[in-house]
Amino acid sequence: MSKILIAEDEVLMLKALEFKLKKDGYQVDVASDGRQAMEKVKNGTYDLILTDIMMPFVGGMEILSYIKNDPIKKSTPVLLISAVGLENVVLEGFNLGADDFIYKPFNLNELSVRVKRYIKQNAF
Amino acid sequence: MNFFEAIFNYIGEIFTERLSYFPSNIRISLLIILFCAIAVIELYFYIAFRRASQANQQRQIENWKEHIDTILANLLIYDETDDTNEIIEHFYPKIKKMPLRNATVNKLLTSEIITYHKNFTGKTAEVLSVLYRRLNLDKKTKKKISNKNWETKIEGIREANEMGITEMADHIMKYTDDESALLRMEAQAAYIKLSQTDPFHFLDRAQERILDWHQLVLFEIITKNKKLVIPSFSKWLRSPNDTVVMLCLKLIDHFMQFDAAEEVERLLKHHNPKIVKKSVEIIGKLELEDAEQHMFEVYFDHGEEIKLEILNSLGKISSGNYAEFLSSRIYSNHTRIKREALYAIKRDLDNGENKLKEIYHQTTPENQALIAHVLDSRIKQ
Repeated sequence: MSKILIAEDEVLMLKALEFKLKKDGYQVDVASDGRQAMEKVKNGTYDLILTDIMMPFVGGMEILSYIKNDPIKKSTPVLLISAVGLENVVLEGFNLGADDFIYKPFNLNELSVRVKRYIKQNAF
Repeated sequence: MNFFEAIFNYIGEIFTERLSYFPSNIRISLLIILFCAIAVIELYFYIAFRRASQANQQRQIENWKEHIDTILANLLIYDETDDTNEIIEHFYPKIKKMPLRNATVNKLLTSEIITYHKNFTGKTAEVLSVLYRRLNLDKKTKKKISNKNWETKIEGIREANEMGITEMADHIMKYTDDESALLRMEAQAAYIKLSQTDPFHFLDRAQERILDWHQLVLFEIITKNKKLVIPSFSKWLRSPNDTVVMLCLKLIDHFMQFDAAEEVERLLKHHNPKIVKKSVEIIGKLELEDAEQHMFEVYFDHGEEIKLEILNSLGKISSGNYAEFLSSRIYSNHTRIKREALYAIKRDLDNGENKLKEIYHQTTPENQALIAHVLDSRIKQ
C-alpha cells in the first residue's frame, strides 16, 4: 500500500484530504504544521508528499527543498498546494523540483487522479 | 489553636464584640474594609466562574467543530459519478441530529460549509451547495441580508457570495449603491458573481463613489473571473459618476477594448484631470492614431502631468505626424517635458534617432546633454 504524507495547517482541508486519500486506498500520514511535517519527512519514507506552501514554522518550499536535496528521498514526488498562483512562487517551486502545483480551490477527484498518476510513475 | 484560626477569631471579635466600642471613624473604616474584602472575594469567584464557563464553551465548540468537520469530510469524498441527492440523504439525518437551533452550532456549521466550499470545486462544491439549501441555511443568509444592522447585512452578502446563491442577486442589488462604503463594496462584488443576466447593472445606477481601493478589488474580481461575459465598458464612459468612468477606463485598458476608442477620445475634454490622464494613457497603449490630433488640441489646456502623458502617448503612436511639435518641446521650460518629448521622438523607429541627432546640432549645450542622455542605449526610460 502506497504511503502519502499530507502537510496542511488548515484542519478542515487536512481532514478532507486525509479522508479522500484513505478512501482511495492509500496509507496516509498527516502533519498539521511545517515542523511536524519536516520531522516526518526526515524520519519516514513516503511514496508521495502533498504539502501546503504556507505553514507555520517551516514552509512547504523548505520541505520541498530538503526532499529534493536528499539523495535518497529526492525521487519522492512532491505536490504543492497553494492558495495563490503567483508566477514567482510557481517558478520557485518548479525550480526547487516540485512535481506539480495544486491551486485552491481545487477538485478533490482531480487531485485524486493526479496523486494516482504520480504514485504510478514513481513506482517504475 | 493554629495561627490562621487565631487570626480569624481576632477579626471576628473586632466585628462582633468590639466594634461598638470603637470611635465612629474607626467603625466606618472597618465596615468599608469588610465591604471591600467581600467585594474582592466575589470578584475572584466571578472571574473564576467566567473562565471556567468560557473554557467549557470553548471545549464544546472544539468538540462540535471536530464533529462537523468529520461529517463534512466524509460527505466530500464521493466520486464525480455519485448522485448528489443520495449523498445528502445519507448524511442529512446525522447533521439534523445536531442542535442546529443552538446559535453557536449553527454558526459553526455555516462557517465550516462555507470554508470547504471556498477551497473545493466540482462535485464537492456542488454537494455543499445542495446541503446548504437543504439545511435552510440560505434562508438564514437571506434574513441576514435583510437585517437592519449593516455588519449583519455584509455577513449575509458574503455568505451568499461564497455559496453562489444566484437568486439573491436582485436582493443584493439594492445595496450596491448604499451610503455605507463597506456594504456597497461587498454588494457590488457579490452582485458581479451572482447576477446571471447583467452582472454590471449596478454601474448604471451607481451614484455613490467607488473608492480607489474598492476599484482595485472590483478590478481583481472582474479580470480574474473566467466565467464572466465581459461587456464593452464604453457604455459607462458617459456616467455622471467619475469613479464609474475611472473603473471602466481601467477595464477598457486591461481588456484592450478598441471599440471604446471614440468614447475614450471624447474624455480628453473631461473636467476631471485623472480621467483625462487615464484616457490619454489608453490612447497611447491602444495606439489610436485617430486621436492624435485631439490630444494635440487639448495639450495646452492641461497641466504638466497630462502634458507628459500626451507626449508619452504621441511617442507610442509614432505616426510621425507630430514630429515637429515634439521637436518644438525642447524649448519648454520644464526639463521633464523636454525629456519626455525627446523619448517620444526616439520611439519612432524609422527616423527617431536621426531626428534627435539633427536637433542635437541645432540646440543649446544643456539640451545637447539631454539628447545625449536619451540616445544612450544603456539608460532605460
